[in-house]
Amino acid sequence: MTGVGLRRRTLLGAAAAATVAAAGGCGQGRRSVQVAVVWAGGELARFREVVAGYPTTVQVVGVGNDIDAFLTARRAAGTSPDVAILPRPGLVVEYARRGWLSEVAPAVSYTAPAGMSDLLSVAGRRYGVWVKAAHKSLFWHFPSTLTEPPRSWDALVSLTRRLGERHRAGAGPAPLAIGAADGWVLTDWFENVLGDVADVDLYEALARGEADWRSRPVQYALERLAELWSVDGAFPGGGRRALLTQFEESIIQVVYHREAAMVFGADFVDAVVARFRRGTEPLATFRFPGARVADQPLIVGGDAAVAFAGSSDGAELVRWLSDAVAFLPWLDAGGYLSPNLAVPVDSYRDPLRRRLAGELRAADTVQFDLSDQLPGTFTGTDGVGIWRIMQDFFMNVTDGVPAREAVRRATGQLAEAARATAGGGR
Amino acid sequence: MSRGPLLGELAVLDDVGPPRRGRAYPAAGVSWALLAPAVLLLGGLLAWPVLRTVHASVTTDGRWVGVEHYRAALAAPGTAAVIGRTLLWALLVPTVVTVLGYLLAAASRRSQEGWLVRLILVVPTALPLVVTGVTFRLLYDPDPERGLATLLLARVTGRDPEQLPQLLGPDLVTVAVMSAFVWAWVGLAMLVFRAALDAVPTGLVDAVRAFGGTRRDVLWDAQWRPLLLRTVAVVFALVAVGTSRTFDLILVMTPGSVRDEAAVLSLRIWQTSGATTTGEGAALGVVWLVAVTAGMLVVALFVRQAWPPPQQPAGSAVTASPPRRLVRLLAAGAAIAWLLPLGVLAATSLQNPVRAATGGWWSGPPGLDSYRAVLGGAELWRSLGFTLVLAVVVTAAVLGVALLAAYPLAWLTGPAAQVTGLVLMAAVVVPVQVIAGPLNEVLGLALSSGTARGVALVHIALGVPFAVLVLRNSFADLPAEQVRGARIGGRHWWGTLRRLARHNRTALVAVAVLEFVQVWNDLVVGLLFSGPDAAPLGLFLAWQTRGFVAGSGTLAAGCVLASILPVLVFVLARRQVVAGLVAGGVR
Repeated sequence: MTGVGLRRRTLLGAAAAATVAAAGGCGQGRRSVQVAVVWAGGELARFREVVAGYPTTVQVVGVGNDIDAFLTARRAAGTSPDVAILPRPGLVVEYARRGWLSEVAPAVSYTAPAGMSDLLSVAGRRYGVWVKAAHKSLFWHFPSTLTEPPRSWDALVSLTRRLGERHRAGAGPAPLAIGAADGWVLTDWFENVLGDVADVDLYEALARGEADWRSRPVQYALERLAELWSVDGAFPGGGRRALLTQFEESIIQVVYHREAAMVFGADFVDAVVARFRRGTEPLATFRFPGARVADQPLIVGGDAAVAFAGSSDGAELVRWLSDAVAFLPWLDAGGYLSPNLAVPVDSYRDPLRRRLAGELRAADTVQFDLSDQLPGTFTGTDGVGIWRIMQDFFMNVTDGVPAREAVRRATGQLAEAARATAGGGR
Repeated sequence: MSRGPLLGELAVLDDVGPPRRGRAYPAAGVSWALLAPAVLLLGGLLAWPVLRTVHASVTTDGRWVGVEHYRAALAAPGTAAVIGRTLLWALLVPTVVTVLGYLLAAASRRSQEGWLVRLILVVPTALPLVVTGVTFRLLYDPDPERGLATLLLARVTGRDPEQLPQLLGPDLVTVAVMSAFVWAWVGLAMLVFRAALDAVPTGLVDAVRAFGGTRRDVLWDAQWRPLLLRTVAVVFALVAVGTSRTFDLILVMTPGSVRDEAAVLSLRIWQTSGATTTGEGAALGVVWLVAVTAGMLVVALFVRQAWPPPQQPAGSAVTASPPRRLVRLLAAGAAIAWLLPLGVLAATSLQNPVRAATGGWWSGPPGLDSYRAVLGGAELWRSLGFTLVLAVVVTAAVLGVALLAAYPLAWLTGPAAQVTGLVLMAAVVVPVQVIAGPLNEVLGLALSSGTARGVALVHIALGVPFAVLVLRNSFADLPAEQVRGARIGGRHWWGTLRRLARHNRTALVAVAVLEFVQVWNDLVVGLLFSGPDAAPLGLFLAWQTRGFVAGSGTLAAGCVLASILPVLVFVLARRQVVAGLVAGGVR
């Protein structure tokens, strides 16, 4: 449940799940196609504009945060929708293994980044296409508070130390705001560092449950996080306070209270910024800094469209959605990053997204959000799985537990959770 | 009140059996027809899922695995703490609520401002627990610029915000959630105690005094021994069963990072299984089910006697003196303390969305922007409309099914009556999280999984046992003359039933009000069973707590709007509710 869609929905105050688009609106002659989506509010409205271009009537159903529970219940009742948009690839794989999905063939123009396209295939068959992406390797800050963004991890650490010291002396904002009450914020941090220090093979093996979480690169990534998070004065109010701060509140700390200089988040932070920014100064972003200045990590998330077994209409709609031109209305409206590399960069109106689309094309390796690929409960939700483990780790390192001990505990918990969910989870 | 029957009258009316039961019964064939809807509902949506849960706890994909799931579930990290916390909830919280309820009932009795105190205390009882959770999370916000409690702590201790104890932090979060629960439940305890105290014959008090008894003697001999002991047991049991509802509070009040520190069994089962059936979840569920049922049966056997005494003491004019000044001050202080969280919620809802997210509720002039924002969107309206329809339909259905079933059941006497009573009692306390997976399977068969129909069915099944219990007892307790009148006046059984129902108006109102408020205030059924065409209010509000601080203005406004109807209904009908409860529900 940690998908981008979910996070974005969360952000938008997403309450709006229960929405049935004019039920019974059958197309002339053909029956309408039903799509269950995780989006709500503004995103739901945009998606409706997108499918308005489809020749048959499409009934869009926003099902709120727990689309897994919804689809499972629908499946039990024999009333599965034709198409669903799922917030994490782990679900696509689970459903495909259970035989719920039908194979889909994307449009000719469909080109997803190398790190993403394989995630939706099981045993060589493709069961889904990416329809929306999120860029998860961004820091946000006001240019006036932070004139020179750090270009490497070491620069970030020394900047944090410097600002932290100043903050403790009461002479300026804390360096970092962090919404540690939401476990996915911490897993996103971890994935960026891991993507930087571990090679692609290990990262993917961890996602598949084939590698050992006690391996050296995982430890190293956690040690790096401990190095940064344990800096005295790193967070406004300290680590204990950060653990009670939710993601949106951490953005408010930067853009409204200016208690912190920067916040790590995905591209969808701009929706919250628009609501709470004080003054007219626009926010700037920089890429998550890696060990080397040239080769920074790029972690992405995404939403995938799948068609349920026995619905040929559904497979057809999925194919249509994978076409480069299908999402043009959303591109024009802004706030949308396409996972389809065939969409020309010039067609983005939104300057931030245009730049991010360029980064998506330029990156050597694009890694997909690791926690979204994990099976069963390991994938995390409040108080459960990797979310909980990373929060424990954060609590330990900000509470003065030596980094080595904190890392040892965390890797132990991770390995245990991986072992417990290896049998296919729930 | 009741006169001796005339010679031969009993025979004419087939009125045999113990004097307080067994007068209102239809023919045997009709009985089964009347019981059928209730039996079908309870069998299909409670009994079968419970059996299926037990089955799932000892099998994997239909293969027998013995106690493996139990071992795994109990060995999982934190399970011992979760069970300990659940026990703490079931023992500590009812104790506190019972003591406070008694003290406040005694303090607010017979004083002039007592009615106001009682009114203030009753309001939290009717609030959805989601709203209570939101209210206390606002109050306990870790930022002294937003949370009043944190601000007061900072002032009192004079400590830096970073050093302050965090009310929502890992150490105190359980205490924080408990305080919210006590706030919500003391009103109900107080109402029941008040009814009990009013039923104590004043003559007894006078007698103890006349023999030179002290205040303590009066409490012990004239109140505790004749009546209060049983009342305490009743209140304690009510609250202990109620603590299984902490689920809603924990879900709403705890940020993700401290959720495990507050987790109780209901939450753990939900985290393990969601709305599906898993071996480990089922094992935990069975453990919990056994504990709850056993506890309930012990209490039920303990308090089975008539309560309070059926006859009102004659001439119970107020002769005792009003309570002392100090006691009255205590009551007034409690009223103010209970009003404070309500004030915080209302004041937050009157800040505009940005100010509510960035400062305290005292930081800006009041306005209606948050209300405008929440009323301007279609979601709240859709949710309100859906919940209203759902609550009305469910209440009507529960009343109908329960009335039909209670009528023949009231005819039972002796062991049969006791056994049905205990079975119904056990059905009342089945926690829905335990049977969610199997329930979804059953609903899937009825093609109503994830639909409004499914949600309504689950609500009805969960509401029927309690309603049958209350109505059965109140039917059985009807005075002989009224039963006779109904049986002579009604030509068919349904005519009799109609007449009898008319005599039972209090119990009917109590059942209707409680059921309506329960469905309106629900979170867990909506969370587990609703689909896209059905987002009940509780769920609608609970979703928004995922961005709690950023959305606190509109969230508070939504909470206020969601609370108006249940509070109105409950406050207006509180007399009937308590009378109906003590007449039938708590025996």
